[in-house]
Amino acid sequence: MSNLLVLLILLPAAAALVCYFVRSMAVRKLTVLATGGILTLSALGLLAQGTFAPIEVGSFLGIGSDFLIAVLDFVLLGVIYFYGYKHKSLLIQGFTLAQVVLLAWFELVMVGHEAVPAMMGDQLSLIMVLVISIIGSLICIFALPYMKEHEEHLHLKKTRQPRFFFFMLIFLGAMNGLVLSNNILWMYFFFEVTTLCSFMLIGHDATEIAAKNAVRALWMNALGGLAFVVGMMLVYTQAGTLNISAILALGSTSAVMLTGLAFLCLAGFTKAAQVPFQSWLLGAMVAPTPVSALLHSSTMVKAGVFVVLRFAPAFAGTFLSTGVAVCGAFTFLACAALGIGQSNGKKILAYSTVANLGLIICCAGINTPLALTAAIILILFHAISKSLLFLCVGTIEQAIGSRDIEDMRGLYGTNPRTALITIIGILTMMLPPFGVLLGKWMAMEASADSNIFIVVMLALGSAMMVVYLARWAGSMMGTSEPGAKAESQPMLTRLPLMALCLGSVVLSVASPWIYNSLLAPWIGSAPFVVGFGSLESAHGTFVVVPLFLVLGLGLLYAVKAASGYRRVKIVPPYVSGANSASGDGTYVGPMNGDVPFSTGNLYLGEMFAEPKLTPIFNALAVALIVLMLGGAL
Amino acid sequence: METLIFVIIGLVAAPLLGGLIAGLDRRLTAWFQSRQGPPIMQAFYDVGKLFGKEKMVVNQWQILCAWVYLIAAAVSVALFFAQGDLLLVFFVQAIGAVFLVMGAMSVKSPFSQVGAQRELIQILAYEPILILVFVGFYMVTGSFSIHAVWAQDTPLLAKMPLLYLALGYALTIKLRKSPFDFSTSHHGHQELVKGVLTEYSGPYLGLIEIAHWYETILVLSLCALFWHTNVAWMALLLVATYMLEILVDNTMARMTWRWMLKRVWLLGMGIAVVNLIWLYAG
Amino acid sequence: MFGSFIKKSRAKSPWIMHFDCGSCNGCDIEVLACLTPLYDVERFGIINVGNPKHADVLLVTGTVNHRNKKVLKNIYDQMPEPKAVIAIGACGNTGGIFREAYNVVGGVDKVIPVDVYVPGCPAKPEAIIDGVVAGLAKFAQKVEEA
Repeated sequence: MSNLLVLLILLPAAAALVCYFVRSMAVRKLTVLATGGILTLSALGLLAQGTFAPIEVGSFLGIGSDFLIAVLDFVLLGVIYFYGYKHKSLLIQGFTLAQVVLLAWFELVMVGHEAVPAMMGDQLSLIMVLVISIIGSLICIFALPYMKEHEEHLHLKKTRQPRFFFFMLIFLGAMNGLVLSNNILWMYFFFEVTTLCSFMLIGHDATEIAAKNAVRALWMNALGGLAFVVGMMLVYTQAGTLNISAILALGSTSAVMLTGLAFLCLAGFTKAAQVPFQSWLLGAMVAPTPVSALLHSSTMVKAGVFVVLRFAPAFAGTFLSTGVAVCGAFTFLACAALGIGQSNGKKILAYSTVANLGLIICCAGINTPLALTAAIILILFHAISKSLLFLCVGTIEQAIGSRDIEDMRGLYGTNPRTALITIIGILTMMLPPFGVLLGKWMAMEASADSNIFIVVMLALGSAMMVVYLARWAGSMMGTSEPGAKAESQPMLTRLPLMALCLGSVVLSVASPWIYNSLLAPWIGSAPFVVGFGSLESAHGTFVVVPLFLVLGLGLLYAVKAASGYRRVKIVPPYVSGANSASGDGTYVGPMNGDVPFSTGNLYLGEMFAEPKLTPIFNALAVALIVLMLGGAL
Repeated sequence: METLIFVIIGLVAAPLLGGLIAGLDRRLTAWFQSRQGPPIMQAFYDVGKLFGKEKMVVNQWQILCAWVYLIAAAVSVALFFAQGDLLLVFFVQAIGAVFLVMGAMSVKSPFSQVGAQRELIQILAYEPILILVFVGFYMVTGSFSIHAVWAQDTPLLAKMPLLYLALGYALTIKLRKSPFDFSTSHHGHQELVKGVLTEYSGPYLGLIEIAHWYETILVLSLCALFWHTNVAWMALLLVATYMLEILVDNTMARMTWRWMLKRVWLLGMGIAVVNLIWLYAG
Repeated sequence: MFGSFIKKSRAKSPWIMHFDCGSCNGCDIEVLACLTPLYDVERFGIINVGNPKHADVLLVTGTVNHRNKKVLKNIYDQMPEPKAVIAIGACGNTGGIFREAYNVVGGVDKVIPVDVYVPGCPAKPEAIIDGVVAGLAKFAQKVEEA
């Protein structure tokens, strides 16, 4: 078991060093593939072994692990300060210095340094480990051909891939460490490692805009780190221990404890790019696609919601909980609204990610068993679907040279496989019976128990998400020209795409069993009973497997009916009788000239333009966060 | 077993009833307009004729989307009659709505494209209202499941009057009645030729028409739940609601999507929220 | 059983599309008058759809000139079978008094096959309705033969 933990946390670090120092492409490829495989197997092995109570981690190469973590913490803060200095960012320098001072006070003066069993694995941790290891490995594998093409496109003379894979792999190890941590200082350390990796990877292309966005990400995450330290200190004052399981078991709701937890939630908010911090995630979209897929949709930002969810039992039933829920719901609404005005594919996905993270945080805030189930279901399925969509957008961008969804119109005609996988990915994000909708359904049912503002915000946000996802999927449908060149893709691109696509569907079918084996034990008073492949409760029932069967059969029939379309008469579209000879939507216009077909989506700029809405939403969000923090007092 | 019988009855009866209602609708509209109008069975003749026409499409996605729209509408009605979860019924119905939009967007026709965008805005307008109505159901009966409604002694209309009015907005949009019929106009009132449905013809248009009947029955059944205690009063409520819809259709002009969004969100959601506040307070 | 229902439905639900090929609009006004409550062709199940893909019967007025004959053919081709064409008014039948003009093709049947000719200048609404009904009979006949 501890072997598995070593593999999950330290092997990626070792592999990262290999990737950085050994400058051979073949070795790098092999290392990434091998690491991916071992991580996947280890995660599955950990799952098979089941949950484990907090265990001690002994010394590492003769040095006490706690001491090692503490030293590395200060080194890390020093590195971050250095980059703040290099980029002349007062915010980064300020926040990092504050963290150093407070952390030093904490470590040297406050903490009693008793032995804390540092690693624990409850069901939440195990699910997170699976998500990180399996999806992370698939993304790293996808990154191999992607980065090669990316660097050819940029005409780079000297490859920067060693640096890229170094940070990607270190990040995987750090994430695993974060979710398995039982010692709050360790959690903080891994939290900061992910901040650094994000900064390095956003700025990977070393262009001016990349550097600017990386700096913005760093100062916002540094603010989060500062909040984490403050929260950590306040919690320690009340709880007297660094042991997370003990803190959760304490059940204290004193003002100091709640304020500490509120600051920890604030740290989670910045990491998860909640409003008003969403601009760093939007800016991070300049990074290469595997970065967006791994860090900024399926994994690192999930660390933010993980922190909130991990500490949720400690503040259940308090005003803080309601405050967290309202902030989360507001983010959901705000980012769903902002997504409507976007035509940049990656920005749409970014806003959708932030919105879904807001929904997860809202569930964590509502804090009923049903809501917590919803949160974990959303974490799991959103990670799969969103990473799939980011990888698809990356593939499409390399194929057509643009990430604007207007340029992806009719993509099925030229790139059928990618277009189909993208359409399936979009549908798994918003339609039943797939997992993301299952989570959303649970979240809405849970929200009916909370207050009316949350209900209204969730209802509005959910409708808005359907709009911009449906129109993207619809615009990609087109007709394949007969005799078109078959789409070619490297095997290492195709494999992760197909695996994620298949995974999102198969796991959705298996959701009742996932619930039974992993979620119900974690929640305690399980909200659902599994019967006939459905999740039943007095609240409401989601018939997972029957729906899959019926809708699946229906879809098969529809596909069969559609595949016979060449026997049906094909006609051009109706353009008032003035079709030109070319047969598609071109029509005969003025001076008998051909007017080509052109169309665009309704971006509803009067209501949903990003520049107009963002300041209003940011202001409201700050007010809500202040409300949340103050309410803890 | 009993559930299965209900489901089969629902699946078979809903399109038949929906077609009859469509025919009655046209008859009543004609009466409002001082003319005779078509026979009541006209909707069935229309669909029968459509199925007898030559199959003609622009691309294969249309066939797929027309079938999925029908299947999703039918499954949502089946789920409703199986007394399932209201929110789930709505989301299954949303599959169909999304596929209709996607099918229209797959065609390179300006009427189709603009119609699809407008259809999306219509979905944007009515979805929040329906969700709020379902939350109202939950507040009164304690569950999102339909079978919890039967346990109530008093009609739900007594506790959720404003939510019923808000539901009226959603019903108007779903039935494609003026002032909200700009994505595809019903029978002859063209603005975008036929909007979303322009490029569908023959049997596929027939499929979409049947799916529309299913959806009509679904929303009307939702209205019927508001007076579940007495069949006579339920019938009266439904008749009154439908007559009001036709009256509104004949007296109001088609408006713009901006007007719809503002009015439905501000007024519709406003009264829904007020009703929910009553329920939360009580 | 469904087959006979479908056959019966064809005659009971003829959806018309109206196209003006250069008419003075006299016949067009009379066509639209048929749709008003006074003549009310919806009793026969007739709806004026604007889209050839939904239409069964094409009502054509006007002389047809060299520019709009292409549009007329295009619309006719986009109508799914079974379909019928009714030429309305003197101009639609033969070109009327404009027959000798240099830009006039001279009658709808020079471009697409016509099933019923409704004479008049303009044709009266009653005559148009008569023509549509005769067209339906021809429709049914065509369907029987097919």
